[in-house]
Amino acid sequence: MKNKFISILFSACILLFAVFITSCEKDMPTQADYTDYSFSKIDENGGNWNPVLLDSNTQISIPVPEVVNSSAYQGELADLKSEASNLNGEQREAIEYWTNNSILRWNEIALELIAKYNLIPGPNDDDTYTLPNPASPEGPPPFPFAHPPYAVRALSYLSVAQFDGLISAWHYKYAYNRPSPYQTDNTIPAAYVDNGIPSYPSDGAVVATVSKTILSAMFPLEKDYLAERAEEHLSSLKWAGVNTQSDIAAGSIIGDEVSKLALARAANDGMKKAQCPKPVSDSLQAAAFDRFGWKWQNIEVPPRPVGLTPLYGQVKMWCVPNVLDVRPPVPPAPGSAEYEEDVTLLKDYADNMTEEHRAIANFWQDGLGTYTPPGHWNRFAKEYCIKYKFNPLRTARVFAYLNMAMMDGGISCWDAKYYYHYPRPINQIEGFKTIAGTPNFPSYTSGHSVFSAAGAEVMTYMFPNEGSLFRDYALEAAISRVYGGIHWSFDATVGTEQGKNCANYTLNVAKADGAD
Amino acid sequence: MKFQNTIALYFVIILSFMGVSKAQTPSDAIMMHQRESCAALIYEHSWFDHYWEGTKLRTNGTIETVKRNTFLPMIAIGIFDQLNLLIGAPYVQTASTEPNGGYFNGAKGFQDLSLALKGEILNLQLGMGKLALLATAGFSTPMTNYLSDYQPYSIGFGANEYSLRGILQYKLDMGFYGRVAAAYLLRGQTEAERDYYYNNGSYYTAWMDVPNAWNYNAVAGIWMLGNSLKLEANYLGIKSTSGDDIRPYNAAQPTNKVSFDQVGISAQYYPKAAKGLGALAYFSQKINGRNTGKSSQFGVGLTYQFKI
Repeated sequence: MKNKFISILFSACILLFAVFITSCEKDMPTQADYTDYSFSKIDENGGNWNPVLLDSNTQISIPVPEVVNSSAYQGELADLKSEASNLNGEQREAIEYWTNNSILRWNEIALELIAKYNLIPGPNDDDTYTLPNPASPEGPPPFPFAHPPYAVRALSYLSVAQFDGLISAWHYKYAYNRPSPYQTDNTIPAAYVDNGIPSYPSDGAVVATVSKTILSAMFPLEKDYLAERAEEHLSSLKWAGVNTQSDIAAGSIIGDEVSKLALARAANDGMKKAQCPKPVSDSLQAAAFDRFGWKWQNIEVPPRPVGLTPLYGQVKMWCVPNVLDVRPPVPPAPGSAEYEEDVTLLKDYADNMTEEHRAIANFWQDGLGTYTPPGHWNRFAKEYCIKYKFNPLRTARVFAYLNMAMMDGGISCWDAKYYYHYPRPINQIEGFKTIAGTPNFPSYTSGHSVFSAAGAEVMTYMFPNEGSLFRDYALEAAISRVYGGIHWSFDATVGTEQGKNCANYTLNVAKADGAD
Repeated sequence: MKFQNTIALYFVIILSFMGVSKAQTPSDAIMMHQRESCAALIYEHSWFDHYWEGTKLRTNGTIETVKRNTFLPMIAIGIFDQLNLLIGAPYVQTASTEPNGGYFNGAKGFQDLSLALKGEILNLQLGMGKLALLATAGFSTPMTNYLSDYQPYSIGFGANEYSLRGILQYKLDMGFYGRVAAAYLLRGQTEAERDYYYNNGSYYTAWMDVPNAWNYNAVAGIWMLGNSLKLEANYLGIKSTSGDDIRPYNAAQPTNKVSFDQVGISAQYYPKAAKGLGALAYFSQKINGRNTGKSSQFGVGLTYQFKI
């Protein structure tokens, strides 16, 4: 009798498990959920916008396209028709994945690679550290260590090259006005909503080629993976019926040429020297100590001999003429009244950690193993480009200015970090503990604050209907570092101003580029 | 590093085996009789200075030695002779030894409320001893809003767990016994405070999947001194069925595939003079693992049995 009762109870429990588990599981998205959409506008004059790297929108030349009734083009259409009418499931998935604004997908791929490579090398068994080496990227440790300065630079070159490539493509699209394949031959199925943008050269091919080339240079171990993704993307343009082979070939020419320009700039922008040797690093520390009477020191176990990219402050900026133009003022000296106030504030935050502060510190942490703060802002850009149904060119413009502003901000921030060489809270406050990891570089100013303020200014300009949303985000990102216990409040407040200052230079360029 | 799993599982083990094994009567009873109850308070201290990053055993100056104190109040209630309810509510405290290179704050708080129903399906005389077959259905859920995504200091994995366990014991009338158990632990998702993380690819959500796991247990023990002292040697195995590895020199996260083998000894003593009172002590050591601290732990506790 009782045994029967027990077995009924157990059965009920098992049933309850099943109900609970199936009802409580949340979706776990691995990418943005969007499909092809009608663009809010198509920017017919986008070919006249000012590019960043190109001298003009005709600097890269492509062949004059064959007219649509030529036998060559008719042959291309026939190929397309046969390809687009025999699609397997994988090909249909590819069409849906890449959609009609593939900039967003390539940005997502870039963020994923950043998260994959954002791992700080650990110590060797003999307590030394080995740096990632681009000459032997396999490592260990693998190259690169995609920390925030590296990440924002990779994103900048990617976005700028995409933007310039699409300006060039837009120019030729409206110069040649070749209609979409499915308009010339209405038996060709069109996978995406028709936005009426001419198809020669293929904007998708520009984006695929640029993205593959730039990202392969930034993440050399991913070359094969990226080639595979680009190959699928290029093929999907045909499967979707949006581009013929000559559209794609012309787009690829632009993509190749603009990538060369971008990578030539990258090769000589000073990044190679940013992770300087110990004697140079020590001299920066000594200079700050002589000048100000303080210095930052790495106190990890074992200590790292050199901080992160001490000479990143000397990397070539995009829009700010000279890094000294945006260098912030001297921080409060340890022992001063303002400094002591901050010590009290930090201790108070740490001793009275609230769930709200903890959540803010964690939400904006974007630390090791993630897409970094610049990546977080790229994610916002992606989401709002979708919300406002931006076309690929306008999307590229958002990312280009966003990432240029954040990279300039990062360079300025690193200039301040190693010029002032200001110690971290854990260096100064006896027995202080944090809930966020203290990074391997000086405190003043806060990278999160500068990146976020610069990003927010560009986002506010690009999406004026969002009001103060992005600036509020930036302020929260800035204070999150103080809640986390790894930054002084003046690192955050001054960093926010610094980010805004840097972005003003970027926005002056953006406002004059012809897009408004 | 995914240390809290060990602890959470340990509770389940304790709940399933220790809280209800008593020596108050001359019988071989494993279950509490109807309207009998056994309350216990256990203190456990654990520590590790090596952990498995994937399957590679390493140290990390950032965290040095991670210590963990657990205070576990629990109660077993005899609903019927053959059906017991077990409730546990641990309080956990974590910290690194000092000095360390990370300067991280530890964490503390009430962890997961665990409830388990234990049923005796079979208990019969077989040859020179008794064969018992039992089953436990357990559920645990976080009691507080603790952060699971704060390894290695997080106090728990922050997700619901549903478990089903089968237990088979053969006890010789002279006092020796052997017991094996196997359980499947079905874990839900835990909510981080960030809405992006990497788990062999991007995840754009704050929800993390905590892997399900198999749990194996084997025990050899003996009742001595007229059923007032119980000594045991035990083995505990955990095998996650999915999950990612901790990345090089990176923090662990709740999505990790945690597996380990652990061996231990335990003793329970019920002095005849102090009616209803008992004491217990145990020690265990992980000997093999994946994505978990190579921890040692000891526990001491008091039990009190009473009628309700």
